[in-house]
Amino acid sequence: METLQQILSFEFLLRNSLYTSVLVGFACPLVGVFLVMRRLVFMGVALPQISSTGVAIALSLPLWFGFKLTEHGSHSAHMLAFVGSIAFSLTAILVLAFLERRGRGLPEGRLGSAYVVAAALSILVLSKNPYGEIGWLDMLKGEVIAISNFDLVLTAATLTLVLAALGLFHKELLLVSFDRELAIILRKKVVFWDVLLYLLIGLTVSMAVLSVGPLIAFGFLLIPALTAHQYARNMRQFTLLASLIGGSAAFFGFWIAYQWDLPVGPTDVVLLGVLYAIGWAAAKLLHGE
Amino acid sequence: MNELLITMDNLSIGYNGQPMLSGLTLSITRASFTAILGANGSGKSTLLKTLLGLLPPVAGRIDIVSAGAPLTFGYVPQSNQFDPVYLLTGFDVALMGVYGRIRVGHLISPVERDFTRECLQAVGAEDFFHKRFAELSGGQKQRVLIARALTTRPDILVLDEPTAGVDRETTTAVLEFISEICKEKKITVLLVTHDFSAVRRYAEKVIWLHEGKIFQGAAGELLTVERMAEIFEIGMG
Repeated sequence: METLQQILSFEFLLRNSLYTSVLVGFACPLVGVFLVMRRLVFMGVALPQISSTGVAIALSLPLWFGFKLTEHGSHSAHMLAFVGSIAFSLTAILVLAFLERRGRGLPEGRLGSAYVVAAALSILVLSKNPYGEIGWLDMLKGEVIAISNFDLVLTAATLTLVLAALGLFHKELLLVSFDRELAIILRKKVVFWDVLLYLLIGLTVSMAVLSVGPLIAFGFLLIPALTAHQYARNMRQFTLLASLIGGSAAFFGFWIAYQWDLPVGPTDVVLLGVLYAIGWAAAKLLHGE
Repeated sequence: MNELLITMDNLSIGYNGQPMLSGLTLSITRASFTAILGANGSGKSTLLKTLLGLLPPVAGRIDIVSAGAPLTFGYVPQSNQFDPVYLLTGFDVALMGVYGRIRVGHLISPVERDFTRECLQAVGAEDFFHKRFAELSGGQKQRVLIARALTTRPDILVLDEPTAGVDRETTTAVLEFISEICKEKKITVLLVTHDFSAVRRYAEKVIWLHEGKIFQGAAGELLTVERMAEIFEIGMG
């Protein structure tokens, strides 16, 4: 309990890391719900990795062009990483979604290839970068440690924007996802709503990858939504429960990691996995299967 | 008074620019009940989807006569096409019909919610308000989808095999209801079905798609033994 009091204290040194983890934990499942419903789970795996490759390449650009970055936590480096992350994830999601709609080839094959190539590329880029070893690699592994006030505000602002858009346009996004034909008959601009949803997913993934790394981003996108789906009876319960599971796992994962001196990202994801397994077993027992 | 609502002039329909049916010249009058018959793969659903704007015509044109605002279609698709992963209740699905009248970013008013409840009650689906849509039987889903089509306040009700997989009793109840409400509210009905007895009972006009050919006429005239034998002979020839 002493550790709990410590991390809840306003003087806690890593409070920005805690707040950011919890913000990401609450926000990622909200778009993850749409990934699960649209059966784009593999997209949820590939996108964070592609986004982190964008971060690696963006942070390497100054080096390739002969500029010097002073430290990882600087605002300019963070903005550069944000731009790289968002450019890669948005391009990837729009291209992959376009190919998906054309319905040719194997979607799993495309996503799997995109994932593995992006992972290899980010390792290659970082291995040839002197700054890679002193922080960026930690960030990409999910070591949520050095988060400045600026990073926290940027994360909070972006996730608030996503939350507002999801709340404001929920019925349009749901209609286009559930029954595209009805949306067309009701004269809704289906391509616009599809693109908006992909933009929101891309923005959330970018922000999450930049704040907590691809591993946690993937974990928070999908596992809370999959866990909540077993118990929820309607869309409102599904969305709220997924968000609540994500936010709680982020908080308790941070607490456990701090207590036992573990890396935060992997602790969060393992905790989510345990919750999913318990949820699955309990659901089977409840339904008498 | 046989007022023309939809005319199709030398229309070709199909997918990806490849015609499946050509030379369709048809007319539908306001407040009429038209049945579309044909074997699987004859182009019935393709015709409906082209009419609804879900597929572009390969050639030719469709003219929809409307004095003021564009006509509203109430569409009842086949009930097995929805992904069960969506945690939507019967009420949620029926409520989607009113989305066309709600401006972007606006909340759905209590009036529209009450109207949706009324539509669900009208089709005998009040017991499915809070039940998961994915867990309803085929007939129950069809009732919810008919209620959803009615919540659009349609000028034209388009039904794609609404009684497929539904028992005889429910089929009769559903078609009786559709027939009555359409007479009462002067709604035009286009019904795709395999159910000959339903066509004989409710449809005024029949469009029969058979091996790339189109036959049309009054139900009483087209569904006689002699005329049907003629159609099939032409098909076999």
